[in-house]
Amino acid sequence: MAEVQQQDTGGKKKGHQKKMQIRVDFTPMVDMNMLLITFFMLCTTMIKSQTLTIALPSNEKVQNEENMSQASADDAVTIILDAKRKTGSLDVDTVNGAVVPVVYYYFGKPGGDAGLGTTPESVAANNNLQESEFLANDEKTGKSRGIREIIQQRNKEVLTEINKLKEKYANGGFGSLETKEGREKAQAAYDEAASKIRKDENLKKPVIIIKSTPQASFGSLVSVLDEMQINSISKYQIDNMTKTDSVMVIDYQNRHHK
Amino acid sequence: MGRVKIAKKSTFIDMTAMSDVTVLLLTFFMLTSTFLSKEPATVITPPSVSTEKVQETNYVQVLVNPEGKIWLTMNNDTSSNWSNEKMRMALLDKVSEIYNEQHKNKPVNFTPEQKYAFSKLGAFGVPLSQMGEFLNLANQPEGQTKMDKWLEGDDGNPAHITGIPVTWNQNEQQPNEFQMWMKALRQTENTNLADKIKDGSGVAIKADQNTSFETIHMVMDNLQTIHMNKFTLLTALKGAEE
Repeated sequence: MAEVQQQDTGGKKKGHQKKMQIRVDFTPMVDMNMLLITFFMLCTTMIKSQTLTIALPSNEKVQNEENMSQASADDAVTIILDAKRKTGSLDVDTVNGAVVPVVYYYFGKPGGDAGLGTTPESVAANNNLQESEFLANDEKTGKSRGIREIIQQRNKEVLTEINKLKEKYANGGFGSLETKEGREKAQAAYDEAASKIRKDENLKKPVIIIKSTPQASFGSLVSVLDEMQINSISKYQIDNMTKTDSVMVIDYQNRHHK
Repeated sequence: MGRVKIAKKSTFIDMTAMSDVTVLLLTFFMLTSTFLSKEPATVITPPSVSTEKVQETNYVQVLVNPEGKIWLTMNNDTSSNWSNEKMRMALLDKVSEIYNEQHKNKPVNFTPEQKYAFSKLGAFGVPLSQMGEFLNLANQPEGQTKMDKWLEGDDGNPAHITGIPVTWNQNEQQPNEFQMWMKALRQTENTNLADKIKDGSGVAIKADQNTSFETIHMVMDNLQTIHMNKFTLLTALKGAEE
């Protein structure tokens, strides 16, 4: 391939053709190309970042308390993010340079129906804060664990409906999944039906309030927003810690993390 | 004894085919590659199940390091009449206008050379009062390295501050410098970018997973104060799980 056959005519000896072979050595060319490829391979970024869109409420103070959408105590789930602390201190502990997230939650009002009270004893007695963690589904059984299990239990009605939809989608109930066009159509129909279910007022669904201590990591905030997405939660908000929340967290830590 | 005759064979390996393949690969990488832009701080974004891809153009990236320092990067869609250079020059004009309104006794003004230097920047983020000095470096020998060092915060001069100054601030009338930059970006005349910023996909916060919530909250609160309530958080892909 790299040879060029040249016919030398008109030489001194008539009738005798001299065959000359010209070979081009491509080895240096290949070497150089390889170097260039290596350069481009190392400098390029193939992975594109993902994004998570969030919308926060406006910062303007709501003057009229009644205007604020108050979640009924029954549906409210408050999740408080925190980081693992060093024993007996408020400093953040790290494992292999990473902050370990800790997540607390309580249902309804702080302190339950009885209220938290003002004395340390009444706080300890009525504290309805519980601890959980971010865990993926169990590998063998596929069951949800940790905070995900708790959210799923509260959002059972919506999730049952969503699972029915998923089954319908898989069985071709939204249109055939054979062609690419069909799949896109079915996906759009599924998305619409799913968003209808998430907003259905007749289904009992929780309102999740996400709070965080200043020391909690950004990673755990993203994790909790992920859980909202995984568990089809339609109503959630990021809120500031109140004094009561801090009292409850400190009380919990004093009793459980000595 | 008859010796076994070894046939003389040429050891020449034909490299043409190999060369063809490498050229093809090279072309592929050259066409698909987008270069990693140099950032003043290295951050590891938290994993998430979200599969929404980041915008390729028309977005502003807010880079937050664990200490709470902020740098901005902007990426324009060059198909309109707004090139990245033109966009940055207009931005610098706008931000100095907002700044001078508030700091009437200490206004900042930039020479055309400084504006030109700014238009060539990648990530930026120094206090506006030091911006002039920072941009002057561009004309010095090895200016680029010096600027990078300044942005990374290890140029050995404690007077040089890196990161856009940001504090807790809920007073919209007295914006801090970070809010000034974001305001200036929102007021851009480039409608493509302005639209994206408005619907939230044009502002991306890139922070390390170990950054404390306090820091992130401060950045988000700053944006809320100037009525930018929608934005995106940059995450890395986690294995899909349902």
